[in-house]
Amino acid sequence: MGVTVLQPYPLPEGKSGAHIIDQLGKRLLALGATHSGQFLVDCETFISTPQPHNGAPGRAVHVLHNSEYPASTFSIIDNGTGKQVSLVADNIFDLLMLKMTNTFTSKKQTKIESRGARFEYGDFVIKLGSVTMMEHFKGILIEIEYKSCVILAYCWEMIREVLQGFLGIGVAKEFPSYFATQTIMTAMGQQQLHAKHNDIYEPMDTVKQYLEQFTNYRKHVALHGGMVSGGGQGGPTVGQPGVHIPPSSMVGMGRP
Amino acid sequence: MSNSVNISVETTCENQIREIGYDGTELYQPPPTLSESLAKCAARIDFSKTSLDDLKREEKSAAAAAGDEDNKDATQFQESLWPWDAVRNKLKDALTEICVLSDVISIAKDKRYLVLDPLLEEGDDTKPIVQVYSRKKAISQAAQVLLGGAERLRNAHSEQRSRNVSDFHIELLRLRQNWRLKKVSNAIIGDLSYRTAGSKFGMSGTFEVTKAEEALDDDTVSTSSSSSTASGNNGMQLKASSALRVIVPAELQGVAYIKVITQKDQEDLCTAQVNLMGHGPNITAQVGVWQKTLEFAQNVLFCKELFAQLAREAIQLQAPIPHVVIGNQIRATLLPNIQLIISLCHSTTFDSSLPAPINDHDHVLEHSLHQLLREVHYKNSHHPFPHPASAPLGPTKKRMLAGPMAADRETLLDMTKTQTILEQIIAQAQHIFMRKRTQYVLDTLARDVKDPQIVSHWNAMNSPTMSCVKINIVTHGYDAIGRTSLVIHVKERSLKCICRDGRVMRLSYEPQELRDLILCQINSHQISCLISLARCMAWTVLSNSNHLGIGKVEPLGNASSCLLASPNSDRMIAVQIRCDPQIDVKVYIARSPRQDFFPSPLVPEKLWENLGGNFKEVRFDKIEGKSFLNKMEFLMASLTSNSA
Repeated sequence: MGVTVLQPYPLPEGKSGAHIIDQLGKRLLALGATHSGQFLVDCETFISTPQPHNGAPGRAVHVLHNSEYPASTFSIIDNGTGKQVSLVADNIFDLLMLKMTNTFTSKKQTKIESRGARFEYGDFVIKLGSVTMMEHFKGILIEIEYKSCVILAYCWEMIREVLQGFLGIGVAKEFPSYFATQTIMTAMGQQQLHAKHNDIYEPMDTVKQYLEQFTNYRKHVALHGGMVSGGGQGGPTVGQPGVHIPPSSMVGMGRP
Repeated sequence: MSNSVNISVETTCENQIREIGYDGTELYQPPPTLSESLAKCAARIDFSKTSLDDLKREEKSAAAAAGDEDNKDATQFQESLWPWDAVRNKLKDALTEICVLSDVISIAKDKRYLVLDPLLEEGDDTKPIVQVYSRKKAISQAAQVLLGGAERLRNAHSEQRSRNVSDFHIELLRLRQNWRLKKVSNAIIGDLSYRTAGSKFGMSGTFEVTKAEEALDDDTVSTSSSSSTASGNNGMQLKASSALRVIVPAELQGVAYIKVITQKDQEDLCTAQVNLMGHGPNITAQVGVWQKTLEFAQNVLFCKELFAQLAREAIQLQAPIPHVVIGNQIRATLLPNIQLIISLCHSTTFDSSLPAPINDHDHVLEHSLHQLLREVHYKNSHHPFPHPASAPLGPTKKRMLAGPMAADRETLLDMTKTQTILEQIIAQAQHIFMRKRTQYVLDTLARDVKDPQIVSHWNAMNSPTMSCVKINIVTHGYDAIGRTSLVIHVKERSLKCICRDGRVMRLSYEPQELRDLILCQINSHQISCLISLARCMAWTVLSNSNHLGIGKVEPLGNASSCLLASPNSDRMIAVQIRCDPQIDVKVYIARSPRQDFFPSPLVPEKLWENLGGNFKEVRFDKIEGKSFLNKMEFLMASLTSNSA
């Protein structure tokens, strides 16, 4: 259980997701990684049925499972204003949610999952996941875990190097958006800068990253559904933090 | 008529209640005054009937009733006879009857028409003496009954005290205090199995309790009394006369025990016996023969269960060298050439003599096997806490917490790995063997190597599969100068050594590896202590090396060396220590300026004589001194010149 970073992989035009995954898998095997099974991360969202009257969005409960922690169910409550409460529970939690159908309804159409092959590469565990929502392919999400370290700040450079090495795209130097410095309110009521990349990593952080990515993929649906034609370049940059897509001639270097 | 009797008839003096007050007081109507009653009666006069005939009739009836004189009121007011009519009739009837009676008596007195005869009564013809006799007989019969009962009680009481063959019921009570019994139709069945303790063994342990057939005749009474006076310890023969008998199943009769032997190439290294006997308080002296029978039978059952479990596991487990199960023996390989033999010994001849004690009786393995099976029983019947209301019962606490703690796959897989009894006992036996071997190596080394002393401290508390020993290598007299320590963790098939400088080395079960390691440590100990000693003596350490790489190739690493210079720099000492089978020390000294410098055309100046001479070997074994460091100290002291 080490530091895990999620990296969405931008789909180049004209290639299908399965082809890309196949290609990346072959690269990893050529590097010397061993294929060790499949993985699955899925997310189901429940919205609170009585909509509040003041127009604020109802509370959403996200229930996620991660095959890396098969005995646990993760759950995050989102009350619309950005505050999140997270929970790690036994698998019986799913049965509990079934009983809560009066208060929470499940929006089946937003059930989203990331599924694919799992590779072990020395101290790293690399998962190539294809994200699907209701059988529609949404994108490719790469998860890389460095098992020996529990603080991102100590190993971010190494993870970035490995990612760049086998993905072939550039990865930004800054920490991923999930780990960026945030302002939080302390118990005294003061605002304080909190650097998440110095915290000890927990399995809940993996799940929260997945939720962030899944939310972005869901917003893509909304965005793409809203957008009529063309101009798709500027659009979906929201959901891909930390990915810098340079022109092919320069990788990590300045302009010629 | 002259003997008239006065009869007075009067009303009850109850007045009608006129009113009841609110506080319960009753207001009576005042009795009617004379004038009121007169008025009442006058109102009753029926003037239509006032004829003489009526009046006469009423007079007659009044006169007829005059014999038993009426109330004056009745004669005065004829009209008021009507309320008194009933009274009058009754009185009239009474008068009639009395008249008749008087007539009859007078006639009877005359004895002419009526005679009065007395009734014949039976005379009281029983004499008092007969009464006395009958009473006496009755009482004596009652006395007989009572005396018979008392006699019986007294007999029973005296029998109780005098005889030593107990009553069947007393024995049954004692049996019931120790074993589980129940009554099934006519027979009493008991259970001596471990089923209530959690065992799932198929063999049933039911026994039957019956009354002993032999009656209490004189022979047995005499033998029992003689045996009680003798109070001998003749084993089974002492309490032969018990009132009840237990019948155990045939397969549980006799005595059984499990024997564990560690064998090295046909040579017994250590043995262990598992036997339930000898545990628990010795109660056989108080209760009868049946207690020992039942205990032996329970022991047989326990040993059979243990052996069956071990045999089943031996067949199921996949070991590098497969386990062999032959008859009532299980052979498992601990280490190459070392075998563990577990056998079930069951003798049906009831021999009270214990088997001959075997050397190196290993109580630890015996106790372990017993404990392991009891642990299996315990786990079968007890579920680990917590007992949640909403989750399945059975998983351990770690597994229950695995969900909320987000345990990953490897952790969960580790939780599912369990060890069988056979694996555990093999691990324990392997560890015992490794420990013995390590102890042997360390002890022989400590005995053989006298120069630095090897002190080993074994931890008092250890687990069945791991022990720790701390080794200190010190030179006698120079403890403050330096000490080399290392810790050795003795596991089941390997050793792990942790040196003071942090190096961790993993050794296999070969004893030679440990020996080599200790020798190397001695080697480095000598050099490091020498360096510290040189500093104390004000000698300068020019260089030292732990691994020189010179000389012929040795199996045990290479020489370590040290180069020292005297305080005046006019002498140098070079020390080289090798450790092929024995510690081999070579010391060389050199002096500067060299004695054999002669100016030559190539090197004309005299100052080149200060470069230092050749090294010459010292006969180190001839130097005075108890130990290497001692000799080096003397050497350094002798070479230190006191020139200013």
